[in-house]
Amino acid sequence: MRSAGWRQAVAATAAGLLLGGCAALPEMPPAVPEDIVPTLAAPSLSAEGSDQLSPDGFDAVQRMAVRIRNVGCDALSTGSGFAVDEHTLITNRHVVADSSALQVSTYDGRDLDVSAASTAALADLAVVRTEDPLPSFPRLADDDPEQGDEVTVVGYPAGGRLTVTAGSVIGTTTDPLHENLGEVLVTDAPVEPGSSGSAALDEAGDVIGVVYAKTTDGRSLLVPQSTLRGMLDDASAFTTLEPC
Amino acid sequence: MLALLLLGAIAVAGYLWQATTAWEEHAARWESDAHAYAEEVAVLRSELDGVTAELVAAREQLDTATARITDLADEKAQLGDENVASQQYLDYQRRVSEAAGVVATALGQCTAAQSQLIGYLEDRDSYDPDDLERFASDVEGLCDEANDANTQLQQELAQ
Repeated sequence: MRSAGWRQAVAATAAGLLLGGCAALPEMPPAVPEDIVPTLAAPSLSAEGSDQLSPDGFDAVQRMAVRIRNVGCDALSTGSGFAVDEHTLITNRHVVADSSALQVSTYDGRDLDVSAASTAALADLAVVRTEDPLPSFPRLADDDPEQGDEVTVVGYPAGGRLTVTAGSVIGTTTDPLHENLGEVLVTDAPVEPGSSGSAALDEAGDVIGVVYAKTTDGRSLLVPQSTLRGMLDDASAFTTLEPC
Repeated sequence: MLALLLLGAIAVAGYLWQATTAWEEHAARWESDAHAYAEEVAVLRSELDGVTAELVAAREQLDTATARITDLADEKAQLGDENVASQQYLDYQRRVSEAAGVVATALGQCTAAQSQLIGYLEDRDSYDPDDLERFASDVEGLCDEANDANTQLQQELAQ
């Protein structure tokens, strides 16, 4: 009896081990997939700055700037300007004053026909309408900049080649030239005669002001965008410019 | 009982042998695929390097082209300025020439009138003294205007 019991115990133990061992046996390998999708993103070519580029390789900042030649009755002068819509550009009143004809050219040297010009009485601002479409135009910033904000100026200093300069907003002041009602912006972005009418842009590329003068200590003065916006919203603010 | 255990052990051994063989084939397939993918990655990496180099070169060419376009636009603008300035200078010269012609004509008329007056004065008994005096006054006025015009022209030319 003891021998039969011992055998049953051994058999039960062996069967238990067999069953338990089967559960621990390795599974058969799965099929190797025919195609493997990588978990890492594929490397891409750098698209740095490509969002700003046009098909001709110039960025929006350069494409919106125009050079203005003021053919006066006895003199010749040049200034800068920038588009605010497809047929309208902004510059300074003193850039277009005393002219018999205005000649506008773009960043790539194309000449645009001018249809009309008008000047503001309460600010050194002028609006010039073109027959031909302007290549690009920025939007006006929602607010005037704060002290320390970065500023980029794009224009034609000294009537030369298209130039982009950078600086920062120093603050505001009353207009030392008494050309503008209200306060004007002061920046340390370098400008020269001929830069008048240049757009001053913030980091987002929105217009924060219009360059109209340079101080004796090398700082630039801007008509703030709030003044420009107020003038553009008031149709009576501008009067038609008569040729000399 | 032992026979059953033996059969079970044989079955387990057979399964393990099959599983081992299958895993070896599985590993070999993975290794083969890995080699193929590695070669593919190497080729793609080489192509990417080539495309990146082409992109860098294209960007440099684009920068050069845009700079050249900007320079050409500037040259065109400068030529336009010079053209306008030349036209204004020509207009000025034309106005000066016209003014010089007018002044020369006026001075000539003055000279002629003075000569005529001298002739009258040499034969003053033949003329009414009041007429002579009026004529002399007219000649003086004409010569004053001619001299004023000449002075203005000289001042303009001196600027």
